[in-house]
Amino acid sequence: MIRFDQVTKRYPSGHEALHELSFELESGEMAFITGHSGAGKSTLLKLIGLIERPTRGNVTVNGQNLGAMRRRAVAQVRRGVGMVFQDHRLLMDRTVYDNVALPLIIAGVPRDDAAKRVRAALDKVGLLDRERAAPITLSSGEQQRVGIARAIVGKPAVLIADEPTGNLDPQLSAEIMQLFVEFQQVGTTVLVASHDLMLVKRLGKRVLVLGNGRLLDDFRPGVAA
Amino acid sequence: MMRRKAVGNRLKQPAPRVSERAPRTRLSLASWRDQHLYSLFSSLGRLAAKPWGTALTALVMGLALALPLLFLVALDNARSLSGGWQDAREITVFLKPDRDAASAKALAASIAARADVAGVKQKTPEQGIEEFRAMSGFAAALDVLQFNPLPQVLIVMPRDPPGASDPSVLADLQANPGVDLVQYDAVWRRRLGAILGFAQRVVAVLAALLALATLLVVGNTVRMDIATRGEEISVMQLIGASTGFVRRPFLYAGLWYGLFSGFAALLIVFGVEALLAAPVRQLLDSYDHRFDLRGLAPQFALGMPFASAALGWLGAMLATARHLAEGHPE
Repeated sequence: MIRFDQVTKRYPSGHEALHELSFELESGEMAFITGHSGAGKSTLLKLIGLIERPTRGNVTVNGQNLGAMRRRAVAQVRRGVGMVFQDHRLLMDRTVYDNVALPLIIAGVPRDDAAKRVRAALDKVGLLDRERAAPITLSSGEQQRVGIARAIVGKPAVLIADEPTGNLDPQLSAEIMQLFVEFQQVGTTVLVASHDLMLVKRLGKRVLVLGNGRLLDDFRPGVAA
Repeated sequence: MMRRKAVGNRLKQPAPRVSERAPRTRLSLASWRDQHLYSLFSSLGRLAAKPWGTALTALVMGLALALPLLFLVALDNARSLSGGWQDAREITVFLKPDRDAASAKALAASIAARADVAGVKQKTPEQGIEEFRAMSGFAAALDVLQFNPLPQVLIVMPRDPPGASDPSVLADLQANPGVDLVQYDAVWRRRLGAILGFAQRVVAVLAALLALATLLVVGNTVRMDIATRGEEISVMQLIGASTGFVRRPFLYAGLWYGLFSGFAALLIVFGVEALLAAPVRQLLDSYDHRFDLRGLAPQFALGMPFASAALGWLGAMLATARHLAEGHPE
């Protein structure tokens, strides 16, 4: 589902964020990426979301080689990848409902169908009763759950999250991570970057450990246990 | 529809293999309509959320558009005024003071016999002074005169087809020994025509310049909108919005700005017409009701909102093409 093949990413500043990184994530698999700050976690996710392009090597998502994507096709690729950000990136001047509905409007989903799917997504993250609320009135954890609802409302095959619990306390973090686990259980491929090693370990999923842009460890619980 | 131009040098890259191309989801007509309605109303809501800013922008554009319209109205009236004069093709012939009514009549008959003359009217000094008394308001002053200073006058209607050249009878009249003065306003009329033509061109150039100004006003307003909504734009792009989708609300905003400014321009024009109507009518009354004041032609009044809406759309198009390129890799 997600395949990195000898991927190197060097920024125009000269900083090499990833160095000949290779790994593969099966369809429906869930993995965490950990590592110290600046290890390349965010860059890795950006390559999947086509926010950046690799300097060398190939990134394949959902059978599509992203390196060959033309600019026109970028939007289409992104619709197949749900993205969750550390700072939610919600549109603060719109309601929770409108935020979650945006990917469906963009994809041209008919209105009635969209309404059902938005409610289903909000229900999934436990915010169905807050659909008319402004995001600013929600707690940080709730805002992140709106962000997750927006990421999954379009039923993407791949869900990526960059430090989704970065600003949350341990209790809320655990709840959020549990949501990602649930999405994996319904067949979504999930890749979450997090530096919260305790939490990551507790969930018992595959863990890719990055250091200086290299893959230091690929820990699979089934094998290690 | 959803199509947009491929930008710049990306075209030169080899096309990806078919298997690597993103699955293209064709939008149904209904969802295409939904997307447009969404952009239409979200842009309108955004303008309504800042009514003063919107009104100010529309007013600035409206003023710029109203100016050429007002010039157009003025020119239109000047043309109808000069049209009244241009109909007066007659040649006025003043005979020498020593000619009496009988010799004037004889001359009139000989001129009237010419093939290129449609008719001749004789005006005696008595008729002339009565006319003068009635029209000029100098009746009291005329009473002071001991004698009638006016000569015998012939008014000759030439038969020549209207055109640039002078009628042939003109030269003969000027050569006639009994004639003191021949008055024919062709030169002056041609000059007036040239002045009107020039004014028309000036109005056209001015209209073009001011249309350009409104284009820049819309473009700049939309550019600032884009700048203040940078975060929103990048979020939309991140969750898969095409450039067309991101651009559309701004295009609609431009359309709205244009439409509002068109109505503002019409309001300004009608307002100015109403303000000037009374004094202008007074002025015209003193000219003996020779012509009527005309307002803005209905086809211009109807076309204005459409034209200004198109201008707004175009201005927004230019601004978005320039400022929405970011948000994509490389």
